[in-house]
Amino acid sequence: MTNLEIIGRIDRSIAEEFEIDMEEMKPEKTLFQDLGLDSLDIVDLVIVLETAFGFKIREEEGIRKIRTLGDIHSFVIQKKDELESIPR
Amino acid sequence: MTHDFVVVGAGVSGLTSALLLAQHGHSVALVEKSGQTAPLLRGFSRRGVHFDTGFHYTGGIGKGEPLDVFFRYLGLSDRLSLLPFGARGFDTIRNVRDGFEFRFPSGYGPLRQNLLQAFPSERSAVETYLDAVRSACDSVPYLNLDASLDARGGLSRVFGPTLKETLDSLTADKILKSVLSTHCLLYGVAPEEVAFQQHACIVGSYYLSANGIAGGGRSLATAFDARLEELGVETHRGCEVTSLSVAPEGALRGVRLADGRELRCGGAVVTVHPRTMLEMVPEGAFRPAYKTRIMGLEETVSAFMLYSVSDIPLPIFSGRNLFVLPSADSLRDLGNRTLEESPLYLTAAYARPGDLPRGFIGIFPMLPETTRAWEDSRKGNRPGSYGQFKEEITRRMENLIKRYCPELAGATSLAETSTPLTVRDFGNSPSGGLYGVKHKVGQYNPVPLTRVKGLYLAGQAVTSPGVLGAVLSGFMACGNILGHDRLIKELKRCR
Repeated sequence: MTNLEIIGRIDRSIAEEFEIDMEEMKPEKTLFQDLGLDSLDIVDLVIVLETAFGFKIREEEGIRKIRTLGDIHSFVIQKKDELESIPR
Repeated sequence: MTHDFVVVGAGVSGLTSALLLAQHGHSVALVEKSGQTAPLLRGFSRRGVHFDTGFHYTGGIGKGEPLDVFFRYLGLSDRLSLLPFGARGFDTIRNVRDGFEFRFPSGYGPLRQNLLQAFPSERSAVETYLDAVRSACDSVPYLNLDASLDARGGLSRVFGPTLKETLDSLTADKILKSVLSTHCLLYGVAPEEVAFQQHACIVGSYYLSANGIAGGGRSLATAFDARLEELGVETHRGCEVTSLSVAPEGALRGVRLADGRELRCGGAVVTVHPRTMLEMVPEGAFRPAYKTRIMGLEETVSAFMLYSVSDIPLPIFSGRNLFVLPSADSLRDLGNRTLEESPLYLTAAYARPGDLPRGFIGIFPMLPETTRAWEDSRKGNRPGSYGQFKEEITRRMENLIKRYCPELAGATSLAETSTPLTVRDFGNSPSGGLYGVKHKVGQYNPVPLTRVKGLYLAGQAVTSPGVLGAVLSGFMACGNILGHDRLIKELKRCR
């Protein structure tokens, strides 16, 4: 999956599951202030990403640093890279 | 009629929540679908013997222990008299294939001693395990009144490690691992799925002490009822909540009942199954992501239960439960095994409080899917094939019990049986899970706070099963309303 495809899938999943307009889905938008999420949504966000990409998120550090939609893009791309580099 | 708060569901978590709010001066209405509060605590009687369905024994209610402190704070303690379970062995684990038997005594010290005696070469595993259980319990606010409120056991309940991973890292002794995992039957999740943190917080209370209550679950329900009345909680029995009314700006406004009335309120603590709660809120109150998560929550295992009466007293169950494991491997893949390979939990039933047991309840874990073929039927219109299924399972269970427990010596006879469908219909558990929603690694259970302002969730799905788990969930939910610091400060005065 290319980075562009990953970003597309993230944006579509989040827009759909949190009822946000696709036009709002810009990397610089902050999750809490711009996109209207709050701390109660974080767990749901984790599950949306896990479901969309079929991996498990088992770390708090990476998630805690996330502020913007762009941060989510980088987090997932990095996670995908890590997973793909593991020999099967 | 306007109340400060409405509590939906009068199980242990709802009763606790109603008392907590009323104790702090709020006007509270408590609404229960059944004709009486705490229906699961009350059990039923057959042929002169009373069978407890929701409560058999509890951990952590010895003097100064968490449940003792909670009950004193709630004004229940003076209305209850405890029945200490066998101090030298409240739970017997009987491993059939290996011919091995182990007794769990009350207290960490005696437990450590018994484990070291039975597994002399496993000193380091035993000590590390017991230390880890104790520190897991100590990390949880309310269970430990001195724990930091920020800790909340971290996310280890979701991230793991599992109980199995933890035990595998400590020892290769399969029998020791099965002994330390047996209490997973108290919460219905297999060792390979449950987080060690979750397991520890439940079994840790039993490692402190194990007690019954004189008169069983009924006495606990009666104590709650008396306290509700004392505090002036307006209790609506036999009233079903059909929906929660939410104002356009997203705040909870009231609770609508099946008879058309609406109880207006400033907030509500809802203790029903989370999926049932979703059906009560208006479309759009929650986002799709939250609804998908709640709808996707996995349920614990269900059970086939057999209720027997005895012509003679059964001292084998006096202050003691019996857990039978056909082999050290029997806890894996819980529920999804043949009866002959499945663990079995046996506990006492009494004709009169204080006498020796005159019956027992036998519980075999079983997946809810086992009775799926009859899921559209209800009591009274079950097809004949369902009866045949029950008879077949009962016959096999009775044979197994005879083989596992020669002590019963044929003096017992069957009084009643129940299946996963019974659990579904009488336990208000939509898919028949014996303990409702599962707590397992990888699953995010709901928390008390929701997006709907004024709507709080309590119940075992939020914390853990059992009386202690349900009471704890009431404190966690109401702590968001009354202030956690305040509740903990007040609880400390009851230590």
